Amino acid sequence: MCVTRRGFMMGCSAAIAGLAGTRFNTVSFADPNLNQEILLVLFLRGGVDGLTVVSPIDGSDRGHYEAARPNLQIPVSGPGASLPLNSQFGLHPSMAPLHDLYQNGNLAIIQAVGMLDLVNKSHFDAMQFIELGTPGENTISTGWLTRHLSSAGNLPPELTIPSLAIGDLQPQSLLGSLETVNMANPESFNVSNGPWNWREAQKTTLRELYEGDSSWLHDAGVAALDAADIVEANVTGGYEPANGAVYPNGPFGDHLQVLAQMIKLDLGLQTATVDLGGWDTHESQGIGSEGYLSDLLGVLAQGLAAFYIDLDGAGASNYTQRLTVVVQSEFGRELFENGDNGTEHGYGNQMMVLSGNAVGGMHGNWPGLGPGQLVDGTDLAVTTDYRQVLSEILIRRMCNINLDFIFPGYSGYQPLGIVQGEDLLPPGVFSDGFESGNLNSWSSSSG
Amino acid sequence: MKTVQVGQHTAPEPTWTEIRAYQRRAWLRRRARAAMPRGMRGGAVPDGVPRPLFPQRRFMRTPDKQLGATPAKALPAPPSAAVIALTRLGFGPRPGDVEAFDALGANDSQRLQAWLAQQLDPASIDDSAADARLAQSSFETLDKPLTQLWQDHTMAEDWEIHMQPFWETQLATFVRAIHSRRQLFEVIAEFWHNHFSIYADDFLIGSVWVHNDRDAIRSHALGNFRQMLEAVTQTPAMLFYLDNAFNSEEDANENFARELMELHTLGAAAYFGSLPQNQVPVDEHGVPIGYVEDDVVGAARCLTGWTVESQYVHWQFGETGQFLYWDDWHDHGAKTAVGLNLPANQGPMQDGWDLLDRLASHPATGRHIATKLCRRLLGDSPPQSVIDAAAAVFTDNWQAADQIAQVVSTIVLSPEFLTTWGDKVKRPFEIAASSFRGAGGDLAFELQDDVSNWFYWVYYQTGQPLFSWHPPNGYPDFKAAWNTTSPRVYCWRLANFFVQLWNEDTEEHYFDLLGQTPAETRAAQELVDFWSERILGRPMPTDEEQKLVTFMAQGANPNTDLDLDDWDVQERLRALVALILMSPSFLWR
Repeated sequence: MCVTRRGFMMGCSAAIAGLAGTRFNTVSFADPNLNQEILLVLFLRGGVDGLTVVSPIDGSDRGHYEAARPNLQIPVSGPGASLPLNSQFGLHPSMAPLHDLYQNGNLAIIQAVGMLDLVNKSHFDAMQFIELGTPGENTISTGWLTRHLSSAGNLPPELTIPSLAIGDLQPQSLLGSLETVNMANPESFNVSNGPWNWREAQKTTLRELYEGDSSWLHDAGVAALDAADIVEANVTGGYEPANGAVYPNGPFGDHLQVLAQMIKLDLGLQTATVDLGGWDTHESQGIGSEGYLSDLLGVLAQGLAAFYIDLDGAGASNYTQRLTVVVQSEFGRELFENGDNGTEHGYGNQMMVLSGNAVGGMHGNWPGLGPGQLVDGTDLAVTTDYRQVLSEILIRRMCNINLDFIFPGYSGYQPLGIVQGEDLLPPGVFSDGFESGNLNSWSSSSG
Repeated sequence: MKTVQVGQHTAPEPTWTEIRAYQRRAWLRRRARAAMPRGMRGGAVPDGVPRPLFPQRRFMRTPDKQLGATPAKALPAPPSAAVIALTRLGFGPRPGDVEAFDALGANDSQRLQAWLAQQLDPASIDDSAADARLAQSSFETLDKPLTQLWQDHTMAEDWEIHMQPFWETQLATFVRAIHSRRQLFEVIAEFWHNHFSIYADDFLIGSVWVHNDRDAIRSHALGNFRQMLEAVTQTPAMLFYLDNAFNSEEDANENFARELMELHTLGAAAYFGSLPQNQVPVDEHGVPIGYVEDDVVGAARCLTGWTVESQYVHWQFGETGQFLYWDDWHDHGAKTAVGLNLPANQGPMQDGWDLLDRLASHPATGRHIATKLCRRLLGDSPPQSVIDAAAAVFTDNWQAADQIAQVVSTIVLSPEFLTTWGDKVKRPFEIAASSFRGAGGDLAFELQDDVSNWFYWVYYQTGQPLFSWHPPNGYPDFKAAWNTTSPRVYCWRLANFFVQLWNEDTEEHYFDLLGQTPAETRAAQELVDFWSERILGRPMPTDEEQKLVTFMAQGANPNTDLDLDDWDVQERLRALVALILMSPSFLWR
């Protein structure tokens, strides 16, 4: 059940009264009026070759695909054959763990997504546009997830960790967020390594130094101290994944495992980000379904599947029923392989949504790989605005209807039917006090 | 970003570069653990000491952390020219630096001008102390010519020998940032490393990293951009990193050509997407003001055959690691790129040279690089007037031997240089280097020294390991990227790490705080003032100072001498100096 901002504002005082002086923390989530969904945005940096992830297995597109990719094509039969998704498309064989989830109905694949009407083959422009949520514009000082969090009316005013950016740095989707914990490793994420006798006193003074004034630097310092305190107090001891989930070795598996660990602490997590890089395969991406890209896709699929299994079922408190994972990249790659068994930057690409509430299957409009169907003669077209996918999740799962604020300039939203949930009508404007002017005043001090 | 996986050319084992990277990290961790003093091994909490209770509930989400909740706040007032110059054009003041700067003239403007003149002529600065310090580190690879690096290290099977040039360059970079008197040169070299960013922790790159650092970046750091551009384009590190080594007429690869235009020269602001070439507006000289996808293709064709003499590229090649122009791979057809109409069958390398000339002389390149330099040397939002002035100097002097020095001079001598402050936060490398300089720390910085390796592992977690940013755009240079919780927490941890680092052999701290504290400086107030002035080059602002004095005094009269022979007071002093290294005032730039 979704509660909009207005509903929340009305129900809010009752909820606070009911807690009788207790500040909102995990207990607040007993309140069914508050949104308890968790959104993970996994960004594949470098431009994943979507035509290797999901390849045509039949019809004329198979012919175009084979002609364009004599070395890179994923076979439809024999060793290394793709795993059928439907009669038209198959998933890369290294992604078998995700194929299992697809067959269970937990994985939605949306074809030919990207920035509609905006071909930009710069990694850095494209990532910035996508993560800021403003294709073609890079002047806004907040990321789309930052704006989602700040406009989600169905969250309590206080949450322990509403947002996690797993990694050494924070992605631009969370640009300007002061409520995000950016962290790679909770074991060492603290400031408790000072001289032993003075450790606590030092931390107290450190806090005083940052709380004593207000500026972009001071405010972020306080946020860092709060984050360190919270993580240190809550993360005790090691972590044992549930259901025998096995994460792949390496930073990606580590990061997903840390996220699962943090989710299970019930600290009010609403959004999380994880990155996986290494997709800019201009050279030697593999032969058929073997090689570099195959291995990386294996890591991706194993990681996602382990994460899902770790959070699935009664033994894991059914977290997957409140979890939505979005997988995206800045662009796809050209249909035609280059001479180095690699692929150049392209355009349209798939997005994937993994969730206990996914409407599993293939979605979106496939534009085809025929000569007249490609953009600039080389690239898969974009038929679905990536913001349409994200908007559906925002509305149907996060119950945040403020699309105008989160994706300024985006209009014409219609659900694609990727996830289950109630369709709420996005408002034309923010009408209850949170005007975009607030954003501007914030940006002038923190830009 | 996928970096070069050249191992695949010889053995179909695609993840072994990754495996090597893990082996190296595991090795670093092992070395780090082995080097930890006993008291700090396996967590720092002594047995039997209860975990401190969580003082009070904290929330990342509170009403006052919401967008719009924080009122705009004036930034701190700019400090003296000495502090600004030593902090932004160097890695922080060392004892005596502020005094030496102030002796250079009667007012800040004169002093800055005189200091800058020295720094822009690094050869005129006696750097024998830093040279001697480098010699102490017993580096073995820094003077090896490229082919020797290739033969001794690229060909080496042993991973530690293979990567030795990369690791030694990392350590030497710290030594220079800390000890060299040519501070501006070090700052500008770091700038160019980020501009021509390469993920060097990789198989065919780490083994020749000395060459890229020494012969491409440092040789031209304050010199001529066009020369640096060609040098970088021709290093095996760049040729492998962005795949131009494999760019041929038959198998064109546009990876390097795209980043050459977007990142190294014209900039993304000059990118017009997939517009037809003839629809890009032209300037008064008839040159297109930007580039499009077809220009990426054209530029890639210009650079076909620019490769590396190595059997990793072609079985017919020798194994020297040298740049090789391989005419068989060059596309000899006519080409168009950024308004150039190059005829077919130009002489060897001429297409590439023409392209680099066009890019280096293009006004968009001047604007792109001037903007980045201003962002580094001034602040995140530099005045357009300074950018324009620097861009004009860049473009007008694109063939001058001291072009880059002229551009830097234009920025530093702009009136805004001394009025800009607090629009930026130090990045982790600056924090680490200025901690060493301010608090008088020193390490062996030797590859075989466990403590040096331990330091590097602790530093690694701050988010800015040297030459290790995966994508080719370099570490971000705007404050929001470094103002998040992970870099802040791990830089704070670094401060605590520094002040406690104990040399088991000499039984001394690597940061000898006691030894550096004058005998007459014993009261809490005096200790705070002495160490603040030492580290910041200026007094600590009063509000921060008072909190530090309260910490140091611990209830006693702040003007009463403390007993620095008492181990507990010594520990308090170490915690105090760490606090100064963690303070807002230390982080502004």
